[in-house]
Amino acid sequence: MVRRGILGLSAAGAAVGGLASAGLGLLAPTSARAQEAGTSRLQTVLERGHLIVGTGSTNPPWHFEDESGTLVGMDIDMARLLARGLFDDPEKVEFVLQGPDARIPSLITEKVDIVCQFMTVTPGRAQQADFTVPYYREGVGVMMMADGDYKTFDDLKAAGSDLTLSALQNVFIEDWAHKELPEARVDQFESPDAALQALNARRVDGYFGDQSAIRWLMQQAPDRYIDAGRGWMPNSYASAVKQGDPIWLNWVNTVYREAMLGVDFDYFAASYQKWFGITLETPKVGFPSEFA
Amino acid sequence: MLNYNFNWSVIWRNWDAFLDALLLGLGMAVLSLLVGCIIGLLVAYARLAQNRVLQWAAWAYVELIRNTPLLLLVFMCYFGLPELGIRFLDKVESFVLTLSLYAGAYMAEVFRAGLSSIPRQYVEAAKAIGMRPWQRQRWVVLPVMFRITLPSLSNNLISLFKDTSLAAAIAVPELTFTARQVNANTFRVMEAWLTATALYLVTCYAIALALRAVERRYASIR
Repeated sequence: MVRRGILGLSAAGAAVGGLASAGLGLLAPTSARAQEAGTSRLQTVLERGHLIVGTGSTNPPWHFEDESGTLVGMDIDMARLLARGLFDDPEKVEFVLQGPDARIPSLITEKVDIVCQFMTVTPGRAQQADFTVPYYREGVGVMMMADGDYKTFDDLKAAGSDLTLSALQNVFIEDWAHKELPEARVDQFESPDAALQALNARRVDGYFGDQSAIRWLMQQAPDRYIDAGRGWMPNSYASAVKQGDPIWLNWVNTVYREAMLGVDFDYFAASYQKWFGITLETPKVGFPSEFA
Repeated sequence: MLNYNFNWSVIWRNWDAFLDALLLGLGMAVLSLLVGCIIGLLVAYARLAQNRVLQWAAWAYVELIRNTPLLLLVFMCYFGLPELGIRFLDKVESFVLTLSLYAGAYMAEVFRAGLSSIPRQYVEAAKAIGMRPWQRQRWVVLPVMFRITLPSLSNNLISLFKDTSLAAAIAVPELTFTARQVNANTFRVMEAWLTATALYLVTCYAIALALRAVERRYASIR
């Protein structure tokens, strides 16, 4: 079940939608609201019979529509894992599509129960929403053509100022690239597809971008690209819930942690393999996770 | 009232980058116009030639270029040529090549009209004094045609200069790209775009004034 914000994918849409759903109940078919004081959202969701998740639809491999128009991706898998844990049915989830700027407002206005939308954990955001345990550590990296001149990260470093990278135009992008490749030239493009095409056309030596995007692109075209093998600028992706509900937060954390280390490891590993093309090693058994 | 606090210091800090970008854009436009004139002249003669194959080839070139958005041509040249093994052009050269081909198609039409409008008597008079065909072109037809088409050349140069803004799409650091970069780095949206607009406006107007003076000096009244 996918619900699109009628007023657009914006914070304003989320806020107005939330107000409308509270007041008129016209714009939003189902509201995540109706949580009585003192009741955990866990209880509300169980009574409602389905989970309401805020996410996006335009960022592979996190949340995007496949050829058949079905919403898929790593974030979507995490949401379905929650639905499975709640109702023993991964389909009992309603997705509310929103822009990244609506992630916190939609929690505050209780338009959604949880946000699964490649959300970077920052101290600032943590003052406005409660983050779950992270399920991915994002970072930047470089992808090259498999048959190109450069094969390893050391090759890139040795190339010095002869190296040209393509990247999506961003205020920090040059600083990020120069952190590990101080002399590289960075050609900044308006869209990620133009930056990738610059690599395909061999206009640049490498595509500089998010590690997850690189893995996804490599998964899409096996043998065409290679990863330079170095990632930097780490940041954690987690889900977020409305502040002040430890029961709900703890339940989600339990599900996530056990997906990464416990009973749902196979599910998590299959998702990871599907979206990033990487086979996770089974967590070391016979020890508490702190020793593994 | 506009509820926005202007902060022009970001523009002064990046002023050199804006000027470099402006000069790069102007340089690309002038170079493209020159190369475009050569292409245009050859194509115009081809369209007026007796040979049907030449005529058809020239027609196909003009129609293909004139009916395709310039941005797509820029992408085709920048992303497509390397796929065909043509790798020696960098991003600026690739853009100048595209803009030259684009200008060539438009100039071909301008020159064709110019060539067609040269009074028959001029050519006949040249024949009468014993000029060979290439002498007639060199001393009579071309000088008159250039004078006739001078206003169109000016308009095309201004158009081409404005078209250089599309080079931003392939990361050429011209004026639009630089404005976007300053915008991305400082979030001073209004200042960056107003500066780019002012620079485009002043430069285009200056080109127009200068070329109008040239026209007054050289453009002929038939």
